[in-house]
Amino acid sequence: MDATGPTGGPPRLRSGAVLEVGPLSGRPGIRASGEISVTTRASWEKALTELSRRHAEVSYVELSGVRFVDVAGVTALAVTAMNLPGGRVVVEQPPPQLPRVLELFWPSLHRIEVAPR
Amino acid sequence: MNTVTTDGTFAHPALFYRSEGEYADRTVTFVREGLATGEPVAVAVPAPNLELIRAGLGTDARDVSFLDMTEAGRNPGRIIPRVLRAFADAHAHGRVRIIGEPVWAGRSAAEYPACAQHEALINAAFKGRSATILCPYDETRLDADVLADALVTHPTVISDGRQRASGAYDWRAVVARYNEPLRPAPDADVIAFGAGQLPDARRFAVGRAASLGLDERRLPDAELAVAELTTNSVVHGGGHGTLAIWADAGQVVCEVRDPGRLTDPLAGRRPPEHGQVGGRGLLLVHYVADLVRVHTSDEGTTVRFYLGL
Repeated sequence: MDATGPTGGPPRLRSGAVLEVGPLSGRPGIRASGEISVTTRASWEKALTELSRRHAEVSYVELSGVRFVDVAGVTALAVTAMNLPGGRVVVEQPPPQLPRVLELFWPSLHRIEVAPR
Repeated sequence: MNTVTTDGTFAHPALFYRSEGEYADRTVTFVREGLATGEPVAVAVPAPNLELIRAGLGTDARDVSFLDMTEAGRNPGRIIPRVLRAFADAHAHGRVRIIGEPVWAGRSAAEYPACAQHEALINAAFKGRSATILCPYDETRLDADVLADALVTHPTVISDGRQRASGAYDWRAVVARYNEPLRPAPDADVIAFGAGQLPDARRFAVGRAASLGLDERRLPDAELAVAELTTNSVVHGGGHGTLAIWADAGQVVCEVRDPGRLTDPLAGRRPPEHGQVGGRGLLLVHYVADLVRVHTSDEGTTVRFYLGL
């Protein structure tokens, strides 16, 4: 698990926002908990890069422990999915902002499948 | 009525009308001119006026896209990206023709400045684009000031069936005039934030919005909008700001102020490129809110959004 604050330092100092993100065990993809926002963006994007590097047919993004994701966080996921050579990304139990932002900006992005909470 | 212009030029006439009959006649003629030359046509007007146009078109209505402007354009700030550009960009290879009626009797005093700025900014957003956007104004029910503003926001005006150039046209003047200072209500709850308090500011807003009665289905929108505005303050607006929230006339009002200045009048009104990573924050606020008001000056910027209870 990788937890970073705004400058890569201890996560609970200054930023107030924490994101823990790491690989899923037993299936391809990542699991995150905390919140995805400007202060945790770097570790989220790093994890997505890793996801796309290892992507084969289906990758999973397990977000049951994520309390909040902002527009740029959803955008990073959408752009990652669009740039995959094929297959799909299954997003599990995201916070409500994720399907909302997808609906507003990428209504026909079939490469992302959302399994709701 | 001759509203046909050559390709590559933007036409933005105001249509002053005095009766339902005149409205139907002129809008239906405008739509039929477009259909006759193969132009895609969209009509975004309040529901009762949609029916007038639909009835007047008869079977031709099936070739036209209709939108109820009181829904699609409730927040005037989203009309350019969500209605006008959305339609124009979906038909990017030829000239498009749109009827857009963003100003109707019953727009509130809080909404009207955003309506006038929207009308003005259409000229900037569509400069050089092959489009005709006709904006009807109800001469019998709208205030004289509103009709006077329409002459400033539209390069041409159609009145009594005749089209003429508007000598008063000066869209920047209307953007500036309605850049009005905004003050939070005296009973607002206020919190200051910097980079370290973004989650606190967000949670504060959600908690207050819930206790003010905002439907829980809209709380995620409130949280998103507050997150985008406070993040903008931290990243672009001087690094810190204050957030205020209160209820007014059946709406929750959220306001974020910071020391930055907003220099791009079309910020938050350009639809993003599909793979564009940044620059969606203010757009999101326009999409989810029922109204957005902005004031910006050398002293700072205030962005206020309203969500109906």
